[in-house]
Amino acid sequence: MLDGKERFVHVGEALFEVVRGAGARSAFVVGTGKNVGKTVAMRAMYGAATRARLCVGLTSIGRDGEAYDAGDAQPKPRLWLSPGTIVATARDVLPRSPAGEILALSDLRTAAGSLALARVMTSSYYELVGPPTASGVRTTVDRLLDHADYTIVDGAVDRVAALAGGNDAIVVACGAAAASTQREAVDDVGALVARLRVPRFDEGRPAIFVDGALTPARAARYIAARERQQIVVRDPTQIALTGKAASHAFAALTLRCERPLKVVAVTVASIGRDRSFEPASFLRDVAGITGVPAFDVYAGARS
Amino acid sequence: MKTERLIDPATAQALDFAWLARAVEPAGEYGRRAFEELRPFVPGQEAAAFERASRIALLASAADEERLDAVRDVLRQSPDATGAIARASMGDVLDDAQLFELQRFCDAIERTGSLLAGVAGIESAAGDAIRSIARALEPGRSGKYGFYLADAFAPEVSSARAALVRAQAELDAVRGRAVARVGLELGRDDVAGDEFIVMRASVGKLPAGVRVLREAATYFLCAIEYDDAALAALARRDEAAANVAAAEENVRAKLSAQVRERAAELDRAARTLGEIDVLVSAARFTREHDCVPAAIVERAALEFEAGRFLPMAGELEVQGRRFTPIDVALRDVAVLTGPNMGGKSVCLRTCGFIAMCASFGLPAPARRAATALFEEIAWLGIGTDEDPSGGSLLSSFAREVVRLREVLERKSARTLVLVDEFARTTTPAEGKALLAAAIEALRARGACGMAATHLAGVAAEAGARHFAVRGLRGIPDRPSTGDLHEAMAALAESMDYTIAEVGSEDPAGRADAIALASLLGLERAVVEAAYGYLKK
Repeated sequence: MLDGKERFVHVGEALFEVVRGAGARSAFVVGTGKNVGKTVAMRAMYGAATRARLCVGLTSIGRDGEAYDAGDAQPKPRLWLSPGTIVATARDVLPRSPAGEILALSDLRTAAGSLALARVMTSSYYELVGPPTASGVRTTVDRLLDHADYTIVDGAVDRVAALAGGNDAIVVACGAAAASTQREAVDDVGALVARLRVPRFDEGRPAIFVDGALTPARAARYIAARERQQIVVRDPTQIALTGKAASHAFAALTLRCERPLKVVAVTVASIGRDRSFEPASFLRDVAGITGVPAFDVYAGARS
Repeated sequence: MKTERLIDPATAQALDFAWLARAVEPAGEYGRRAFEELRPFVPGQEAAAFERASRIALLASAADEERLDAVRDVLRQSPDATGAIARASMGDVLDDAQLFELQRFCDAIERTGSLLAGVAGIESAAGDAIRSIARALEPGRSGKYGFYLADAFAPEVSSARAALVRAQAELDAVRGRAVARVGLELGRDDVAGDEFIVMRASVGKLPAGVRVLREAATYFLCAIEYDDAALAALARRDEAAANVAAAEENVRAKLSAQVRERAAELDRAARTLGEIDVLVSAARFTREHDCVPAAIVERAALEFEAGRFLPMAGELEVQGRRFTPIDVALRDVAVLTGPNMGGKSVCLRTCGFIAMCASFGLPAPARRAATALFEEIAWLGIGTDEDPSGGSLLSSFAREVVRLREVLERKSARTLVLVDEFARTTTPAEGKALLAAAIEALRARGACGMAATHLAGVAAEAGARHFAVRGLRGIPDRPSTGDLHEAMAALAESMDYTIAEVGSEDPAGRADAIALASLLGLERAVVEAAYGYLKK
C-alpha cells in the first residue's frame, strides 16, 4: 500500500470494472494535458478487457502508440495488441508485418491518410491515428462496435464532449507533466471533472439557454444579477471557465447542460519528465477534489 | 461533367447546371472519374449524342429502379483500386490494404456483371485478367468483405507464423516469471507495464532484476530488467518475426507481379466499370424523371412537347404543387410575351435545360424532343448573380449589354440564346429598340432562341415569330387570410401556362399585373388608383 489508506489493485481490471459498471460500451480517455498517462490508462483497461476474453476496439482522436513523440522526440508508451483486437487507424501506419485482417477502408481522413478498420491477427505494436473530427470519431466508434464488445478511445476533451453520448464513459487522466505544482494539477483536474460532470437541466424549472460558450464575462453578468434560473449550456465543454472563476461560478450559479457526460474515474501519473509529485498524496488529493474513483496506473493503487 | 464552351457560369446558374450534375452523378469512385471526363457533344457529333441518349434510355427501360440502385450500391461501396493497379504496374509491392481494394474491385465487377446480365448495350467489365486476379486473391478472403494475407497463400507463411507464436509464448513465459517473482517479493500482484512505482516505505530492498529509473524522497520509479534468458528469448522472437515478415512480403511480391502483368487490362476494366456507373446513374435519372432521347437535328432548332424544367418541378413537388409541362417549337430567335408569373422565364429555362441534356447525351425531360447540338447556350438578362468582366462597377443594364456584346463577339455558328427581359431597366422606347436590334443581329447569325419581354411591339419590329403565354383565365380573388402561399396557389389555379404563337401583333392588353399586385396583397387603395391611371 502507498500509505495505508490506498489499495494495491489490478488497476486495469478495476478501471475497466468501473466502466462496465456504468453500463458503457465505449470509454473515452481524456487528459488535462500532454503526457499525463492517457495511453497508459488506455493500455491498462485494454489489458483487463482482453484478459476477460472480450473483443476490444481501439481508436484515437489524434495519434497514439507511436514510439517517439513527434513534438519532442521523447519515447512514448506503445500499444502492444493481441489477436482479435479491432483497430481503427490510418492505413499508412498499419504494420506491414505481421499482417492483420483488413475489414474495411473508409473515406474518413486522418493526419496520416484515410482510415482503415483492421483485426489484429498476430500480437504486435500498433499505432493509432484516428479521425480528428467529432463526427468522424462517432462514426468510427459505431463501426468498431459492430465488430467489438467494447471500444476505448484515446481522446481530446473538446471533441469528446461534442461526440460522447449518455452511454459512453469518460476517464480523465491527469499528471505531473501538465502542471508546475501538485496543487495546480489537483485544481486543474478538479475543475475539469466538475465541468464535465455538470448535470442535465431540469425541464420543469425555469432556465436560461446559453447560445455558445459560457464565458467569464457572461458568467459574471449572471452572478452580478444574482440569477437564480438554471444556466444551461449545450454540453459541459461550453463552460469556458477555469481556476477561481470556475469555482466561483459553480458556487454562485446553477450550471446545467443539455447533454451530460458520464465521468466514471480519474487516473493519475505522478511522474512527469520534468517533475514528479508524491504519489500517495497526489492520488488522495485528486480523489478528494473530483469525487470519483481515482487510480494510479504506475503504482497499481486505487484511492 | 465539364461544361467547356457550351455554357458560361451565368447560364449554368440560370439553367441550374449544378442540379443536373448532381442528378446524374455516379455512385462510386470509378464513375466519378469517368464523369469528370464527360464533355458536351458538339456539332458534327449528332449521331454519337443520340446513340448515347438512346443507350441510356434502353438501359432505363431494361432495368428497374431496384436493379439500378443495387448496382449503384455495389459501386458506392467499392473502394478505388486504380491507385493499387498503377503502383503495381510501376513495380511496387502492394500492401494489404491495396490487395483488399483489388479484391473488392474484382467483386464489384462480378456483382455488377450479374446484376446487369442480359441488358443490351452494357459492356461487361469482366475478363480473363479480372478472373485471374480474383482467383489469386481468393485465399485472402475473410468474412464477407475482409482480406487477410492468410496461411493458405504459402506454406512458408504458415510455418513462419507458427514459429513466431512459439517464440512469443516463450518470451511471455520468461517475462511472466520475472514479473511474478518481482510481484511476490514486493507483496503485490500488479507490476505490469514498462514502468511502475515502488514506495520506499513498503520495501527494505528492491528485488533482484528491478532497475531504478528515477529516485524520489518517498518512492522509486522502476522497470524489470531483461535477464540473459529473457534477452535470448527476445532475440529468438525477433528472428521469428523477421521470418514472418519475409514470408509475407514474398506473397505480396508474387501477387503484385500478377497485377503488374495484367495492369493494362485491369485499368481498362476500371474504366469500363466507371462508364457503367455513369450510364446507370443517367438511367436512374431517366426513369425517375420520365425522360426520352431527343432527336438530334443538324439545323439550329429546338422543339419539344410537354417539356419540364426539372429543378423547378422538384421544388413545386415539395410544396405539393405540379409543374405544368410546356410545348415549344423554335427555328430561329422568337419573342415571348405574357403576364408576370406566367412562366416566361421558366419557358426559357426549360428550353435551355432540354438542349443542355441533349448536349451531354442525356435523355431529356419531355414527352418528345428534337434539338440541335448547340455550340453555345447563352442566357442574357435577369436571373443570375454572375457578373461579366467589369463586375460590380457596372449597372444592371450595362452588365446585360456587356453580356450581349460577348455573345455576339463569340460568333458561334450554332447558338441557343435565351433572353430574359433584356433592357428592362432603361427607357421602354430605347429598350424596345435595342431588343429588336439584338434579335435581328442574332437571327442574322443563325442563332436559335427566345426573348421574353414585357415590351410591346418587339416581334413586329424585329420581324420575329411571336409566342405568348395565355395568362390568367380570370382574376382570382385575394385570399381573405392574406397568406402568400394561398395567393400563389390561387394564381396557379387561374393561370393558363399554355404558350401559343400569336402572330406579330401583341395580344390585347389586360390589367394582369395590377390584378396580380392585388392578389399579392398590395393595399387596395393603391390598386384602385393604379386601375384609375390605366384607364386614363
